Amino acid sequence: MKITGVKTTLFRTASEQRDRNARGSAGTSPSHGCVIELGTDAGFVGVAISSVAAPAQFKQITDELLTGEDPRCVTGLWQRMVSASYRGGPGGFVKGAIAALDVALWDLKAKANQEPLWKTLGGARPRVNAYVSGLDAQATDAALQVAVSALARKFGFRGGKLAVGLDPDADLRRLGIIRQALLANTAEPELMIDAGQYDSPKQAIRKVREIEKHVDLTWVEAPVRCWDFLGLKRVSSSIRSAVCAGESMDAASDFLPHFHCHALDVVQVDAASVGITGALQIADTAFGFELPVTLSRSPGNMHAHLGAVMPYCMSMEVVDPVLLGGVFTGDVRIEGGWAVAGDRPGHGLVIDQQALAKASGTDAAAGRVA
Amino acid sequence: MKITGYRSELYLMKANRAVGDANLPDGVDLLPGSILYIETDANITGISLGFGGGSVKTLFPAIEGADPREVVGLWIKMNDWVHKAGNEGEANAALSAIDIALWDLKAKIAGEPLWKTLGAREGRVKAYASGLDYCLSDEELFAFYRRMAELGVDSGKLKVGLDLQADLRRLGIMREALSVASARPQLMIDSNEYWSPKQAVRYIRQIEEKFDLVWVEEPARRWDYDGLKLVSQQVAAAVATAENINSVADVYPLIANQAVDVLNVSALHSGVTGCRQIAHMANTYGLPVSMMNCQANFMAQVAAALPNHNMMEVVDPGREHCLKFSSRIEDGYIVLGDAPGFGIEVDEAILAALQKNPPVGKGRFPFPRRDGAARYIVPPAPGEVPWRRGP
Repeated sequence: MKITGVKTTLFRTASEQRDRNARGSAGTSPSHGCVIELGTDAGFVGVAISSVAAPAQFKQITDELLTGEDPRCVTGLWQRMVSASYRGGPGGFVKGAIAALDVALWDLKAKANQEPLWKTLGGARPRVNAYVSGLDAQATDAALQVAVSALARKFGFRGGKLAVGLDPDADLRRLGIIRQALLANTAEPELMIDAGQYDSPKQAIRKVREIEKHVDLTWVEAPVRCWDFLGLKRVSSSIRSAVCAGESMDAASDFLPHFHCHALDVVQVDAASVGITGALQIADTAFGFELPVTLSRSPGNMHAHLGAVMPYCMSMEVVDPVLLGGVFTGDVRIEGGWAVAGDRPGHGLVIDQQALAKASGTDAAAGRVA
Repeated sequence: MKITGYRSELYLMKANRAVGDANLPDGVDLLPGSILYIETDANITGISLGFGGGSVKTLFPAIEGADPREVVGLWIKMNDWVHKAGNEGEANAALSAIDIALWDLKAKIAGEPLWKTLGAREGRVKAYASGLDYCLSDEELFAFYRRMAELGVDSGKLKVGLDLQADLRRLGIMREALSVASARPQLMIDSNEYWSPKQAVRYIRQIEEKFDLVWVEEPARRWDYDGLKLVSQQVAAAVATAENINSVADVYPLIANQAVDVLNVSALHSGVTGCRQIAHMANTYGLPVSMMNCQANFMAQVAAALPNHNMMEVVDPGREHCLKFSSRIEDGYIVLGDAPGFGIEVDEAILAALQKNPPVGKGRFPFPRRDGAARYIVPPAPGEVPWRRGP
């Protein structure tokens, strides 16, 4: 089987989801971005949904490094893509493009085997402990209460995460609302906060200590900049809860100072940043350091496939338990607080070509993409 | 597809030549052989050259009825199965042997060589020659490395540790033999944990006055991260170690303490799954890994897919009598071809004959440690090795 080329389609759907953290940046919601379709001479199409709106990058990398290659050789091809960009480092758009192409290659590898990705990876039980996130989109306490209660009831979440940092009183109040809703499913809800790399280390320590007086936190995510391993370590040694970071790192090797200096308590992995190949490398390293791994949000919650082969996979972030009105459908169910991957070949994301055509009109694609 | 059963065959193999190191300078030619077959309801059988043995029985209930394609999940399950105790030694070897057989199955089910299942782009791995040669005469030593050099192999690893002057002479012989493959052959030495750390430093520094060494292997005990680190800080060569430890948990103190520069890995000790975990961990630290020698170089299938693999040990003493395989050494590389799985088949008739009439030879399993280790050097007695003539 050989790769024949790539097709990219920018899209933007009306149901753009707000996703704000302290930094105020838009997240990587699948309601806008780029659909990557990697073609092969065997008729299989490898799919990825990326927030990288850089069709030229996808085309260049594919033409120069992937076309004519067998997608089943995915880890070697990932290495090839990373090596080709070694001088400038696989950062920014290049990083995101390589990661998305890696996802499409793994999709092809699984499709060639006619099996779901979790099985191609070697997983035996395709389910990951799921927590609900993206709740910060709710503008009022009342709306938050309605939303999180409904999500807890319907999907059985036992954990939830809130983006915090700008209004301590509101943060505490809203954490209380989330906790209350999750009590329907467990006596000890797991509560996480995401500080969006907004604070200095000492600011973060003061803020978290204040919250910890009232709420038991599982982790604090990104309390300082993600590369600041000294700051992360300092925060970790000054608070009770775990420090979690990593979703915006560029490669496994970027975690070297964090591992070496024990700066992280929970290692966060995002295939949109490091590809599936890089995610597996990071997870194996974390296992060696006895550190749990958590998976960040993902299009169609496809990260559920990866958790099955990560020995210390702790949890996975879920923003959209079901996909509505998007340009693709998925095959991961959220039930009883677990993200369970299904049996569709590949990672299970299937493009709705009609919806994509509608969402990729000139006006739709012109907007800002994260 | 489901795992239905297994069969474990033990046998003795007699290598075509003896192999020896600082602990067994006179060498052995009788080696324990083990083949583990894992059977499925689809009539596809996974074959493993790992040390199966009796402990397979303990672990098999953890995988019986499971789909072999779920091998990583099964690796986790088997580790959890023996969590509290009984998870070292033979149990670890059996777990690794099972993991190897399951990966063989996974690749065979996909109808592709394992290197491709693991995602490698090419089925080839750079080789280095390793004579396990303390028991070889100077002439035999030259002949071995020259034969390898004629296959394009430009790197060699000499067994050392008991006699500095002889080791220096033999390093020169190895370099000369390899010089037809490269003007600057890569030279390594291996003392198999015979020295104390400071003995190692003195010995290696004296060698380094005459030779540029790529790595020194096991210059101190496998777990002694302080000692290995000390050696690494005081010699120019890289410190290679880890062939006798099993998992990321074992290599953790070595890596975290910067005690190792090259990690020797082996699927026989870690399974394919554990091998890859160690390689990934090392890769995060920018460290290369090197695959251990094995029958038919079967572990090259795994090495090909590791992102940080530098070169694989090739001994080739002739120990594949009951095996059929198609890999070969060409232009200094182990070339794997496209046979499904590990590409290994068993000649059952020869295996049965070996079991019925075990070969006679020189064997000492488990391999002992030589007197004096880590305290004082006991040089080979006259006649103990061919290069130290009797009185």
